[in-house]
Amino acid sequence: MTTEHDASATDDRSFTPADLQHVQFARASMLRPGYVDSEVDRVLSRVAEELGRLYAEKAALRDEVRSLRAQVDGVVTPVAPSEQAVRILSVAQQTADNYVAEAEEFSRQVTSEARSEYEEQVRQARENAGAIIQAAQEAAAQLSSGAPRADATGQRSVEELQEQVAYLKAFAQACRVQLRSYLEALIGDVETEWGRADPAALPQAPQRPPAQRAGTTFEANTAGEPPPEDADDLSATAGSRSAT
Amino acid sequence: MDIPAMRANFAKSAATGDEAPLYFYSHLFLSHPETRQLFPVSMAHQRDRLFAALGDVVARVDDLEALVPILQQLGRDHRKFGTLAAHYPAVGGSLLATLEHFDDEWSPELAKDWTEAYTLVAEVMIEAAEEAAEQPPWWEADVVAHERRTIDVGVLQVRPRKRYDYLPGQSVSLETDLRPRLWRYYSPANAPRPDGLLEIHVKARDGGPVSSALVRRVGVGDVLRLGPPMGHLALDRESDRDLLLVAGGMGLAPLKALIDQVVRNGPARRVDLFAGFRTEDQIYDRADLQRLERENPWLTVTLVVSEDKLSSLEHGDVGDVVLRNGPWLSREVFVAGPAVMVDDTVTRLVQHGVPRQRISSEVFAPSRPGPSVDGEVTE
Repeated sequence: MTTEHDASATDDRSFTPADLQHVQFARASMLRPGYVDSEVDRVLSRVAEELGRLYAEKAALRDEVRSLRAQVDGVVTPVAPSEQAVRILSVAQQTADNYVAEAEEFSRQVTSEARSEYEEQVRQARENAGAIIQAAQEAAAQLSSGAPRADATGQRSVEELQEQVAYLKAFAQACRVQLRSYLEALIGDVETEWGRADPAALPQAPQRPPAQRAGTTFEANTAGEPPPEDADDLSATAGSRSAT
Repeated sequence: MDIPAMRANFAKSAATGDEAPLYFYSHLFLSHPETRQLFPVSMAHQRDRLFAALGDVVARVDDLEALVPILQQLGRDHRKFGTLAAHYPAVGGSLLATLEHFDDEWSPELAKDWTEAYTLVAEVMIEAAEEAAEQPPWWEADVVAHERRTIDVGVLQVRPRKRYDYLPGQSVSLETDLRPRLWRYYSPANAPRPDGLLEIHVKARDGGPVSSALVRRVGVGDVLRLGPPMGHLALDRESDRDLLLVAGGMGLAPLKALIDQVVRNGPARRVDLFAGFRTEDQIYDRADLQRLERENPWLTVTLVVSEDKLSSLEHGDVGDVVLRNGPWLSREVFVAGPAVMVDDTVTRLVQHGVPRQRISSEVFAPSRPGPSVDGEVTE
């Protein structure tokens, strides 16, 4: 057992409780593991406590010597604060400092979490809004160019159009999910049939039930991630509808 | 005076880390309880500062030419803390007791030397404080407007009750009764005005006791205390060179003050301001910057965002955008903002060919103890 501190500390000045608290042991080798860490720690903290007690006692004794000496000499020395009092006030001050530091740290954590939550919400809302507006504009352009009675439809409220667009997007998304699970199931079937004919040819990839796969895709969209397919805005809109 | 012996003795106290300052302050408060109210509730940062400042003094004790101005500044600056000449002997007594407590080889010679040295230091500080006595130790200022611009930025208009002189670009230390004895530096965002108003931009730092209180709790009618102005960001009065101002986040405030100075006092010159923010939402002073740009044909304001893909503003690190819009070889340059942004921008501009001595910069960091990054002792 070696310590980084003990060489310098014992040479220069007496060992303080703080020295013990900050002592660090070198890691034991792989072949010959050292002491159990927790035991070493426990002993250290007991030694530190004991040292602290001794220090306080020493301070009290020093005060006593001083006052006795003053009595013997018959000199009234100006009242200096006793070592004990200094120590008590120091501990009290440190305790107060720690409470303040903890409170500040707590406040820091809470505010920074709240801020990142806020920024994320705003960012998502803005993305969703952008996608909705874009989709509505596309739909409006399509309607006005495709239908001659564009005037009549133009009179219909924008909300109505947007609702229709959103419905179509959700519908498209649902179709895609359905189709994909159907295809997945089909591939699964083919592979099992094939596997029956030639088991060695069966790929080792884990088989996922199609329903679950569709579910994860949908969730990934609500989290605002771009899906692997080339229909970013569609899925984002569908996601926003399901999220709000 | 046996300076090496004093240094060796000081080193013993300094080596104890927190214990010596802890002992010092406990000793001081017990022997002179009236001094406790000069300090904040939590003494943790105060303790770091005390020994850093003492270390500076001890390091320069044989170089009076360097030491005296530091001590004079310290003496002047301590007036706002309510320090009186009568406090100096009290501090001296506790300092000696501390140096003695942590040195087993304390001797009457050391005691004599330290007493002499401390007396000298105290005299210089007291003298400087008294020379500044025609100025008030601090200025009370009423908050006359308080605007929350973003989730964590507030813009305050404060009016000092007495005349408060400062230079555009300087910083002001201020204290609120909500967080007694905690002084923080902010730069007014305007040049001195006939009505005396100061525009103060504050960003609430997460967990920052003073900044959060200034943004979220201080309101119209509250009173702040201002310390004397400090800092080195200032226009050269002799020069009429065109300006390039580069701000990151809250570094905008002192640069806006420089623009205001050109608006009020001239001389006529072209001014380009680049202000970088993370996202478009965080541009807390956009309306006023646009107003300035509209009213002053010589001013060009470019807003830059670094992490906002949806924004139509210039995109990138502000230093990068500045260079893309160059060349700036003839300009006088001022850079203010977070450390990383300042370093990056200054490096780029130097590479670009702007002479180093024509670039002034100021780093804005949370809880900065002073407005300076040049190692000046300010507190």
